[in-house]
Amino acid sequence: MTQIAYGFWDGEVLDNRKGGSGLPADFAEPQNLDTFDDGNAVRAFIGDRGFFVMDEQVSLLDAFRQYLDRAAGQSCGKCTPCRVGTGLIRDALDALCRGEEGALDLDGIAGMARHITDTALCGLGQTCGGALIAAIENFRDVVEAEIAAAPAPRQHGMSYVTAPCMEACPCKINVPRYIDYIKDGRPEYSLGVILQKVPMAATCGRVCVRFCEMACRRNLVDQAVGIKTLKRYVADLQSGPNPLRFASDQIRTPLGPEMRVAVVGAGPAGLSCAYHLLLRGYHVDIFEALPEAGGMAAIGIPSYRLPRHVLKTETETLSALGGRFLFNRVMGRDFTTDSLFADGYLAVFLGLGCQEPVLLGVAGEDPAMRGYESGIGFMLKVHDHIAGTRKTELAGDVVAVVGGGNVAMDCARSALRMGAAGVHVIYRRTREEMPADKSEIEAAEEEGVVFHFLTNPERVLSADGRIVGLTLVGMRVTEPDKKGRMGVEPVPGSESDFACAHLVAAIGQQVQADALSQEELIGLNRWKCVAADPGSLATSRSGVFAGGDCVSGPGTLVQAMSHGLKAARNIDDWVQHGRIRFFPRSRIRQMVKDNHMLAASDIKIPILNEYRVHHPELEPEIRKHTFDEVEQTIGQEEAYREASRCLRCYRIYSVVTQQPVPEGAV
Amino acid sequence: MTTKQTPAAAVAVSATIDGVTVRAEANETILHCARRYGIHIPSLCELDDIDHAPGTCRICQVEILGDGGGQAHLAPSCITPVEEGMAVMTHSPRARAAQRLQVELMFADHNLDCVVCKRHGNCELQDVARVVGLDTNRFRDPARIAARHVDDTSPALIRDMTRCVRCQRCVTVCREGQTVDALVMTGFGQELEVGLKHGLSQTESTCVSCGQCVLVCPTGALGEREEIDTVEDFLYDPGIVTVFQFAPAIRVSVGEEFGLPAGANVQGQIVAALRKLGADIVLDTNFGADVVIMEEGTELLRHLVEKKRPTFTSCCPAWINFAERHYPAILPYLSSTKSPQQTVGVIAKTYLPQKMGLDPKAIRVVSIMPCTAKKDERVRPQLSLDGTDEIDVVLTTREFVHLLGRRGIDLSALEPSTYDNPYMSAFSGAGAIFGTTGGVMEAAVRTMYYVVTGREMQPIELGQLRGFEGVRTATVDIGGDIGPVKVAMCHGLKSVRGIVEAVLDGTADLDFIEVMACPGGCVDGGGSLRSKKQYLPHALKRRETLFSIDHVANVRQSHNNPQVQELYKSFLGSPYSELAHQLLHTYYTDRHVEMTRSVKDIWDSITMSTVIY
Repeated sequence: MTQIAYGFWDGEVLDNRKGGSGLPADFAEPQNLDTFDDGNAVRAFIGDRGFFVMDEQVSLLDAFRQYLDRAAGQSCGKCTPCRVGTGLIRDALDALCRGEEGALDLDGIAGMARHITDTALCGLGQTCGGALIAAIENFRDVVEAEIAAAPAPRQHGMSYVTAPCMEACPCKINVPRYIDYIKDGRPEYSLGVILQKVPMAATCGRVCVRFCEMACRRNLVDQAVGIKTLKRYVADLQSGPNPLRFASDQIRTPLGPEMRVAVVGAGPAGLSCAYHLLLRGYHVDIFEALPEAGGMAAIGIPSYRLPRHVLKTETETLSALGGRFLFNRVMGRDFTTDSLFADGYLAVFLGLGCQEPVLLGVAGEDPAMRGYESGIGFMLKVHDHIAGTRKTELAGDVVAVVGGGNVAMDCARSALRMGAAGVHVIYRRTREEMPADKSEIEAAEEEGVVFHFLTNPERVLSADGRIVGLTLVGMRVTEPDKKGRMGVEPVPGSESDFACAHLVAAIGQQVQADALSQEELIGLNRWKCVAADPGSLATSRSGVFAGGDCVSGPGTLVQAMSHGLKAARNIDDWVQHGRIRFFPRSRIRQMVKDNHMLAASDIKIPILNEYRVHHPELEPEIRKHTFDEVEQTIGQEEAYREASRCLRCYRIYSVVTQQPVPEGAV
Repeated sequence: MTTKQTPAAAVAVSATIDGVTVRAEANETILHCARRYGIHIPSLCELDDIDHAPGTCRICQVEILGDGGGQAHLAPSCITPVEEGMAVMTHSPRARAAQRLQVELMFADHNLDCVVCKRHGNCELQDVARVVGLDTNRFRDPARIAARHVDDTSPALIRDMTRCVRCQRCVTVCREGQTVDALVMTGFGQELEVGLKHGLSQTESTCVSCGQCVLVCPTGALGEREEIDTVEDFLYDPGIVTVFQFAPAIRVSVGEEFGLPAGANVQGQIVAALRKLGADIVLDTNFGADVVIMEEGTELLRHLVEKKRPTFTSCCPAWINFAERHYPAILPYLSSTKSPQQTVGVIAKTYLPQKMGLDPKAIRVVSIMPCTAKKDERVRPQLSLDGTDEIDVVLTTREFVHLLGRRGIDLSALEPSTYDNPYMSAFSGAGAIFGTTGGVMEAAVRTMYYVVTGREMQPIELGQLRGFEGVRTATVDIGGDIGPVKVAMCHGLKSVRGIVEAVLDGTADLDFIEVMACPGGCVDGGGSLRSKKQYLPHALKRRETLFSIDHVANVRQSHNNPQVQELYKSFLGSPYSELAHQLLHTYYTDRHVEMTRSVKDIWDSITMSTVIY
């Protein structure tokens, strides 16, 4: 629990200066705000909704000078009050800190802050003055005493700018900024912002599950900004006539030839890790069991969602940066962690993925049976079918897909394209609980996939070693358990037989058992995933880091890429400093998260409805017969319009600390 | 392909503005609704005529009173929709204070040297300062003004960012109106300004100098390179023979500056004014237009016989810039005929001195044009006559008005005069309508019909060509061996882009395409007078006057212009003759601009709170 000396939050004045430590009865107690890094007390915290002072000796003047300096530096300059006003306040506070008179006195500062709050265009301006107004209004005695005692000391601390979409993104991509650049007419800069965090912008712009859009505050007005659509728009400029060039000259500090790191697995996690290590100057070799790069993005995502050439362009980036792909190298067969270290690699990143299918666990199930496919196995067949190396024809057959995730949707929609007479998705819970993307479910329906919700297979029926059908049972929702999650249970007597020639069991995957032998000394957790520290992604073996699906279980592309980024940063720390350093931005993020600071924010001023742009797409009747890409890129006019819908919900958070904030990796 | 659209719920709402009960359309803004009810709210960046409301100047603040004890709050009326039951006060003390402070903040880095600004006395920023009652200017910071850029690299357009209010109207008209998309926003915070795509300078950029940005700029930030003093020097020098010409559109687009009705024909007054200024010889660009028809018409007929199609007109210099910068693949389809302006210049420096016994070296040709791109055209290296310029100075309509102002000349007070040059001042009705969309086409068809059939076309006015849509197509039978010809007229570069792409991808079935880069044609050219808070308000009136000049003209076909007949008889020989080819035809070059940047270049110049690499 954090002791508050005084402060202001969400309209509540907090004041324990004359003793006491209490907070108003219904006030959510600030969590985890007292210490920044080890032994470094937080003296004050300033955010969009107010401020907390933990150490009465702190200088408010200097704390707000720092805060407004960040605001002025972050102002985009479009609207007058924020462009000019933030700088004026910063300069006035700076003058007061130095014991001089500035252009604005204390009332002038408060008035200007109110003017910015009331009239600024975006979230940054609208929220950067609130805490300052509250401080001057409610703690004027403190501020005036400071002015009288000037000069005020310069204090340690840092500030952090974020937005709901950025915090929701596992890679923390600066979404409002890349949308700004589109608005400004500089899409290549927009792509530059994305490429700072992820190497696979065009892939992400097609298949990302869009945590950002779920967090988008435009949802409170009409519909979320088409963030993914815009990302794809700028990323697809790379396939236009004038792509941005990648070259090793963008590596600022190339390291010596001994600085080698091995990345195992060329999936999204491995590629991301390799990319960020290359940019940090390392020499990176990427070991991949398959003959091509991309991992699940290559074999697990059908080409009607992610054309192969898009992925190929992005994986080639790694080569342009000096990365070396070593294909057809299987861990446990061709090399081990020991052999990698013996070969002189200083660190190893494991992005092994999760390719071992999970069985349904019902009577009559035998993966060797003809007509039986795992989700991942089926997607491999789809991959070979499209590549032309091995055709799979489902002409006239009925296909049953069990599962409700995106892999199940991919299998179902691909089966249609391979000529299946009927495709049925069997899912044991309700439609609302399906983990697949809503848009994927809708697209599958449009193409003619039949859904059976609250239905579960009970037995696999076969004849002569070949699947002929399933016994299905109806399910019903039970009372919520203690955690509030509804369970399901079979409805007795609801069994019925369902004829099908193919069964695709797409209910999950796990790490392949033979990749990591006992001798590797790399621990697994109880879900048979690689055990890695969530903060550092370090495994139980020193110098070995892991990320992506092999750590989290089957997850999303953007999650895997964020692991790659984080691991690269930590590998760099481990190699250069022998330890993983404190990462200040992560710490502030944790503070924001623990106190739900980005959660509550309604829209006060009415906003014009501007409905979001939609991808042009192929008609269902045409697309269900082809693996050509369904969604097309939007045009320039639509991109400008969609970009203009962004509300720019930037927020600034800053801390004043006892000691300097330690320098961490960027 | 399908594009899904979610329709907006269309429900009208009731509200009050300053106590007046109003009815607003669904999603209608407070500012728009207030205007319909005659309620004035100070505003600056918004420009309804081009559907531009970026909500950035934040001057149009109104106070929305809280309902049922809720808190009142300010809102920018240009982007805030009227909601049911909303009570809006446009001039409450709080709203007025916010409006006034906003304007004051705007002046923090605005170059307030108003007396040397072209917009002095005709400036929307000065207007709004007066409207909000600005009475102090506390935040002016010369260092900030000095940090802003001036781009004076172009022969046509100067961008003075020290006077920019960042309203982005220019960006919108360039991006959405013209689809040239040359303008971008660069920098952040105080450094935010309008720049050119790919960080290029004005003159090397993808800008085509159409000047539509100038027409929407509320201040003196955008304007032409001013060359009035050069003209004054010519007039002052007794050794120089000054030859003036003025474009078809000038006579119908300058009168309102002198209190005459929009579209008034002041040709006679302009002739009188030029004499008063001391012009030695006054010619009419319309004469050049008639010559262009002789050349271009002949060229087109040849193309039709050769089955080479389509042919694009070439009189619009912004279109030439557009083709060279954006679609070099279209260049082989452009007519080689020079524009009327250059045609007059060449003939005035070759034929005219012969006829009048003048020294060609003493001649200086001054054009008065409703156009900024004509200044670009003037300096094209391929448009020179034995090393000297064909045209010596181009003045825009705006500069011409300033020149008259310097001499205290009021057009409306002048007695109209007539031409006295017997060689290059007469024009046909066909030449007169060159200034509006469809006019070049109509003029060409009249002459081609005569060339092919030996008869004059009847009826002479081609109503089917006179619409105002961005792209119009028609089939015109010009008889003889040629028969029906498929023609198109397009104005505004957005429409032009569509036609060019259709031609390049083979989907356009056309023989002859007239292009005017500015919406409406030259009557609304980028060199025209500015209209505050409006965009192209007088287009149709100006156009009507041009048609009426043609309607009452004694000679209505270029080939029947007696001075043109004399020119060919005694000098050029025939259209497309060797001499005509040498003097009146030109060529075009590929000046495509490519973006060639690396990720490193971008990362080096990205501005962001946290930059990783």
